[in-house]
Amino acid sequence: MSREYDPSPEGNPSVLARRNRFQTALVKFIGKRTPKCREVVRILSQAMDSKLPLSMRIKLRLHYLICAWCKRYEKHLHELRKFASSVPDHTDAFSEDTLSPTAKERMKEALRETRRK
Amino acid sequence: MDSAKSQACTKRTDTIDPERWVEEHGDCLYRYALLRVRRPEVAEDLVQEAFCAGVRTFGSFRGESSERSWLCGILKNKICDYFRKLGRETCFTDLEFLEDELSHKFVPQGFWNHDLGPLEWKPEAEVVMHRNEFWETFKNCLARLPRRVADVFMLREMEEMETAQICDALSISPNNLWVMLHRARMALRECLEMNWFKGHSPGGSV
Repeated sequence: MSREYDPSPEGNPSVLARRNRFQTALVKFIGKRTPKCREVVRILSQAMDSKLPLSMRIKLRLHYLICAWCKRYEKHLHELRKFASSVPDHTDAFSEDTLSPTAKERMKEALRETRRK
Repeated sequence: MDSAKSQACTKRTDTIDPERWVEEHGDCLYRYALLRVRRPEVAEDLVQEAFCAGVRTFGSFRGESSERSWLCGILKNKICDYFRKLGRETCFTDLEFLEDELSHKFVPQGFWNHDLGPLEWKPEAEVVMHRNEFWETFKNCLARLPRRVADVFMLREMEEMETAQICDALSISPNNLWVMLHRARMALRECLEMNWFKGHSPGGSV
């Protein structure tokens, strides 16, 4: 049998840490009944693309109580999305490429053509 | 009332100036397209297509967003179409990426290794987005992803394509898509944390 893992070491930033017997019992209870972090991060990614069942959303909420890290992970996934959707406003950081004058002329010509139609 | 309406309409059609679009938004759109499709000639074509579609659909532009983000939205659709036409089976070597790489982050019981778990990101996302160096880091992190994984991630998060559509477009199974998105997110998050937030967060709070 493997040594019991302590999901809540000293200095744990989570809401519930093993600060007293009651919390210890609660932390263990939640730790056993919610998915493990390795699984949680997979589920969190899915949650970005589809709505999770209510029961899973509740489990995640409970898990966050004992795991500040997964909670951060979820926040970071949302921030990643924010970053990705802001890329078009920051394209100059991505490259210094510009359209060549001939390409611009060609585009203008094509646009004049389109407008005439 | 009617005359006011028609006046507004005239005004709207007057404001369409595609040649100015090319000057003002051309480079920005081009860079975005280039990031997404990587080939200059393809990027140019897509930008041109987006502009032309803009001319044709200008009537539907409500002015709720800026002209640039409206044009960018059109360009995003063109990029989705491009990937749809391109669609082919994912190379499976991509999926091996990160298979075990981050397993050291977790203890055998499946919990985070607390010394290696996600950090508090400081400063906040809104703040870092104004820093050009942040976008440098973001770009480098994206570039580290296997190409197809990056394509899938960007279609989802930048073009905001639905997952079912991505599966269709690239003919990948939903399961593979979940895996690819998960690994892309995990790798990007990790890369940003290591190369940006860790160095910039005061005291590197754990």
